[in-house]
Amino acid sequence: MTQGGLDIPTLVILLKGAGVSLGLACAAIACATVLAVLLTALAFSRLLPVRLFYRLYIYVIRGTPLLVLAMLIFYALPAFDLRTGPYLAAVVVLAIYVAALFAEVFRGGVLAIPRPQWESAKSLGLPPGAMLRKVIGPLVLRYTLPSYVNVCVMAVKATSVLSIISVWELTLASREIIERTLAVFTILGTAGAFYFVMCLGIDRAGRRLEQRLALRGFGGEHA
Amino acid sequence: MRWTWVTTYGSTYLDALGWTLLAALLASAGSMFWGCVLFLIRLMGGRAAALGVGGYVQVFRNTPVLLPIYVIYFGFPLVGLPWPALACGALALVLQNGAYVSEILRGSFRAIDRVQFDAAKSVGLSPWQTFRKITLPQVLVHSIPSLGNQVVALIKDTSLLSAIAVTELTMQAKLLTERTGAAYEAFMVVAALYLVLVFATEALFRTAHRAVRWR
Repeated sequence: MTQGGLDIPTLVILLKGAGVSLGLACAAIACATVLAVLLTALAFSRLLPVRLFYRLYIYVIRGTPLLVLAMLIFYALPAFDLRTGPYLAAVVVLAIYVAALFAEVFRGGVLAIPRPQWESAKSLGLPPGAMLRKVIGPLVLRYTLPSYVNVCVMAVKATSVLSIISVWELTLASREIIERTLAVFTILGTAGAFYFVMCLGIDRAGRRLEQRLALRGFGGEHA
Repeated sequence: MRWTWVTTYGSTYLDALGWTLLAALLASAGSMFWGCVLFLIRLMGGRAAALGVGGYVQVFRNTPVLLPIYVIYFGFPLVGLPWPALACGALALVLQNGAYVSEILRGSFRAIDRVQFDAAKSVGLSPWQTFRKITLPQVLVHSIPSLGNQVVALIKDTSLLSAIAVTELTMQAKLLTERTGAAYEAFMVVAALYLVLVFATEALFRTAHRAVRWR
């Protein structure tokens, strides 16, 4: 195969790779969201050591390249006798990484809540659980949605890094094909188009959700 | 972790650190330049140019950096440009980060109060004078924190050059791990080195911002 190089079987392989990438990203985003909510709770703890732990987690995860983190976990897990499949380990690494980004987004959202909201919720005598569910949660959701969606897009792009440690997804699929066929520009162009569609799709879906969730009195693009 | 590890492989790490720094410096400088060019084209080039730059930014914002790295590394030899891997990787980082830099500059430009341009006109400054004395200094000062974040992201992205066999920190850690069979020592050291680099970069940009903020 020389010219073009984009026949139907190749396209099917790339589509499969794109599916794996999207699946990895979705699984990681789901786990990371739960983890990030817990981390955000740590950030507002009354205990200094807990808050310090939060800061350290964020600093270390955000200051280290995802690839180094991934290699660390991939090479170290077998040493601890934790033999996991590459996909499980990939989701774990991505989740740990994305959770740090989400947590900072959520923390910013909590800090952005106007003081009167806290005070009126308290003065109504809402118990802490109800306050979180009925007042703080919905507000944080609306404040943070744009940044949350940005991080989701970043998560999709970040899955490509895992190809370097031989997790088979869109980027590794493309690399395998171009090493065989040398159709560099067509294959990588197609892969790029797939990533573009996935990322832009998430972006647009997020924006639509933002409009649907918009509350009166908390309008504006950044609210 | 055995501390002899650091002394035994110290020179290997230093060598790798040099490659990482070289890649980061080349790519940062290139990104700043390319970002400025894109920003100026968008600012002064009319509608078609603005659309073109906008499309360019969208494409690079919505695709992973690894793709341009592979396109250049595997593609350039096919069109008769056998560049060294480091140059290929740095160029890919410049193309991607330049898009982000241009957006940062554009954001800072839009933060300038319109009244200032009226004021500049009313005191008789020419368009060039307005740009040089009013617009440019404010854009640069306002952009410093975001540019710092971008450089930090770029430093971390140099780890991707290990995919095209540049012997920078990440690649070297992988090689050491495979050669010695030690599970995590190599990566711990490398992670610590990245943290130091990131910390130093953040401090540098914070100092720079503090130095020029009030004038």
